[in-house]
Amino acid sequence: MTAGGAVRVRRAEHVMGTVVSFDVLSGYAGAALTEAVRWLHWVDERFSPFRPDSDVSRLAGGEITVADCGPEVAGVLAACADLSALSGGYFSATYAGQLDPSGYVKGWAIERAAGLLTAAGSGSHCVNGGGDVQCAGGRGADPARPEPWRIGISDPRRPWSLCRVVAGTGFAVATSGVAERGPHIVNPHTGAPAGDLLSVTVVGARLSLADAYATAAVAMGFPAARDWIEGLDGYCGFGICADGQAWETSGFSAYQPRS
Amino acid sequence: MRRVFLAVTGTVAGLVALLAFRSHVPSAAPQATSGGAGSSAGAGTGQTGTVGQPAVNSSVPAGERGIDGNVANTVYGPVQVQVLVKNSKIVNVHILEQPSSTIHDLQIGQFAFPQLIKETISTQSGRIDAVSGASYTSAGYIKSLQSAIDNGA
Amino acid sequence: MTILARKPAPAPARPARWARPRVPEVKPQNVMIKAKPGLVLSVIALGAIAVVALWWQDTASVHGLGAWLTGAGEVLGLMCGYGVVVLVALMARLPPLERGIGTDRLARWHAMGGRYVVSIVVAHGLLIVWGYAVTARTNVVSESATLLTQYPDVLMATAAGFLLLGVGIVSMRAARRRLRYETWYYLHFYTYLAIALAFSHQFADGQSFVNSLGARFWWSAMYLTVALLVVWYRILVPWRAFTRHGFRVLGVRAEAPGVVSVYIGGSRLDELAAEPGQFFRWRFLNRSLWWQSHPYSLSAAPGRDRLRITVKDLGDHSRSLGYLRPGTRVWVEGPFGAFTADDARRGAVLLAGGVGITPLRAMFASLPGRVTLIYRARSWSDVVFRDELDAIARARGARVHYVVGSRAELGGDPLTAAVLRRLVPGLHKQDVYVCGPTGMMASAVAALADAGVPRRRVHFESFEF
Repeated sequence: MTAGGAVRVRRAEHVMGTVVSFDVLSGYAGAALTEAVRWLHWVDERFSPFRPDSDVSRLAGGEITVADCGPEVAGVLAACADLSALSGGYFSATYAGQLDPSGYVKGWAIERAAGLLTAAGSGSHCVNGGGDVQCAGGRGADPARPEPWRIGISDPRRPWSLCRVVAGTGFAVATSGVAERGPHIVNPHTGAPAGDLLSVTVVGARLSLADAYATAAVAMGFPAARDWIEGLDGYCGFGICADGQAWETSGFSAYQPRS
Repeated sequence: MRRVFLAVTGTVAGLVALLAFRSHVPSAAPQATSGGAGSSAGAGTGQTGTVGQPAVNSSVPAGERGIDGNVANTVYGPVQVQVLVKNSKIVNVHILEQPSSTIHDLQIGQFAFPQLIKETISTQSGRIDAVSGASYTSAGYIKSLQSAIDNGA
Repeated sequence: MTILARKPAPAPARPARWARPRVPEVKPQNVMIKAKPGLVLSVIALGAIAVVALWWQDTASVHGLGAWLTGAGEVLGLMCGYGVVVLVALMARLPPLERGIGTDRLARWHAMGGRYVVSIVVAHGLLIVWGYAVTARTNVVSESATLLTQYPDVLMATAAGFLLLGVGIVSMRAARRRLRYETWYYLHFYTYLAIALAFSHQFADGQSFVNSLGARFWWSAMYLTVALLVVWYRILVPWRAFTRHGFRVLGVRAEAPGVVSVYIGGSRLDELAAEPGQFFRWRFLNRSLWWQSHPYSLSAAPGRDRLRITVKDLGDHSRSLGYLRPGTRVWVEGPFGAFTADDARRGAVLLAGGVGITPLRAMFASLPGRVTLIYRARSWSDVVFRDELDAIARARGARVHYVVGSRAELGGDPLTAAVLRRLVPGLHKQDVYVCGPTGMMASAVAALADAGVPRRRVHFESFEF
């Protein structure tokens, strides 16, 4: 199978407590995909707060220090600190007093996985990690005329429905909210579940940032979330409030599908 | 006259306050799988390849994949739907379970749901490559649109 | 309620067996429970809150116009179901309420509450139809038809709603003036029919009841309790009194032109524990009067074996009392009324106008301590009990002031603050009991306020209920 072949392959992998879906050209569905999958499992082993032997759990328990972990851990914690500062504390790497950088780790891991496929030569793929999507290139086989990827956004109020569709190339779409698991986003300032936003979607270039931004935005509530996302460079947002009101920031219209 | 005015405004204010306080987020689906921020307890060894065969309804037309969603708490009460996906598009939605204890519920089922579904389908035009939504767990994935798309519906 | 007559009534032979009432008459010891008005209102309010809580816990969340309208309709519906129970309970002749709050105040509360309940019944119906129509995405006309034909018991409930509305209209003051009292009275009983018709739809269609056995149980318990109370106090207690005391007319005496006293005899009447100032509802069981029940105050403190009422000829019923034959059996309900002197240690002033002398005459004889009676009448022919009152005053060292004459003759309202202060030294330290026509009472109460009598020491009861 030649690289650039038009046949697309889809694969779903159970990891990190969710299912990561890959959509790649068949040429990269071999060694490159295997490496991306292996990366995800490595992240799971290192960063899962539910595995007692993961670096994060041992760090949280005080058994080891950051210096004892690999450089990735330090990098993740530094990124979390930056995000916390940027979001005024609404993004937090602690959950119920315990170290838990999952709000950043998942997006970062998916983004890196997509990056591994790019490094292997794939110019067109889409990776969906449990609802957070990183795309590379466009959908068509012809890199000169890329078709935009069409990503649907789930309607939190109607389980069978999509409330928006966004289209773009080489972008990421991350959604945070209360839908399946109930209110698990906690406002770090009050400790109580954030209530008045049903879901927030952030769209931009990198999934690691989009995911963290979306998580922080849900904790902020409306209209703080919208105003904050408006101020983020290169990222735009869309959200639905508990009373049904939908809102978007100014950059969001750029991602509206043409057809 | 003043008493009438007080009675009317008091009643209206009381009603508005009651209803406003009740307009909060509908609580999470009663069958949210092993709650908390995702448990990898069940994700020990990864499995590559196609997983999570969505529940296939025997009456689903050929070429379409039916996904039975979770029972969700909607404003009408607990509702479970089956979504039919073909070529990465939602082509139909069936109601599998809906409240039916009062005549009012049945009336809703007769009139309101078909309207809602018609609206849903008419806005879902075009192919969808992936679905972004609040994180689902492995078990939730099975009942999601994403799984239908992954499985080539 | 006493009515003083203008026309002289024929005076049948006075049986020799009883003499003039001995004075002072004995005030019966009373240990009845008297409900405090504030307490009763608080209980009613708490009940309303509990009803709202019932709706609250059965409602998941409210989104959108349809849900808001339906939710409002549901809350109001529950309030109606609760409200009618409260209204019936207020009129159930419960002794703690009658003695503690007073019949006139209970009737006022019932009237105000009744207007409110009828209004929200209408609002409930409209909101439910509209809310259901919006949720079901159809129009209100077809939704009304659906509700009436397919929803269980809604047709009956709608009929009940119209009945209540009709009773409400008939009870408006403008309508009541045109109706005979009896006509209005018997029409009002249709409310019971309306309540019965509307009951089942609450359980069949109400979101708060459909899935909750507990809610249905407590709601039914509430209805059953009040129903039992009504049967007990409005039917069984009077029946027991009728058989136990054997009320009979002893005789009728003319007091003045158009004024008669009726003496009703019975046994063990002290068990009634009637207090001076209270009234009974009398149903004289002869061919012409058996279907009417009228309230008249006792005009003397109750004796062990007889009661006295004094009535002025003001209408068909009062006129007929002059023709009562001795031995006529009487169905008696009572005693009612909160116009009693509980605490007049400092001294009491009784301020009577015209018809109001009746309950005050009873109190004049029995109140302990210093008592002053001021009796306002338009002319001397309107003054009744003249010699009785003088006799009582002499016997107990009390004073009676007769203020007689029309306003024109006296140059204005004679009962001003200055006059009252002059007639009664130390007026502001005493308890004042006022009884008379509404206009007279209003101006008297105002004058008393001017004279410095604290509001809590001015007692009055309206006859208009």
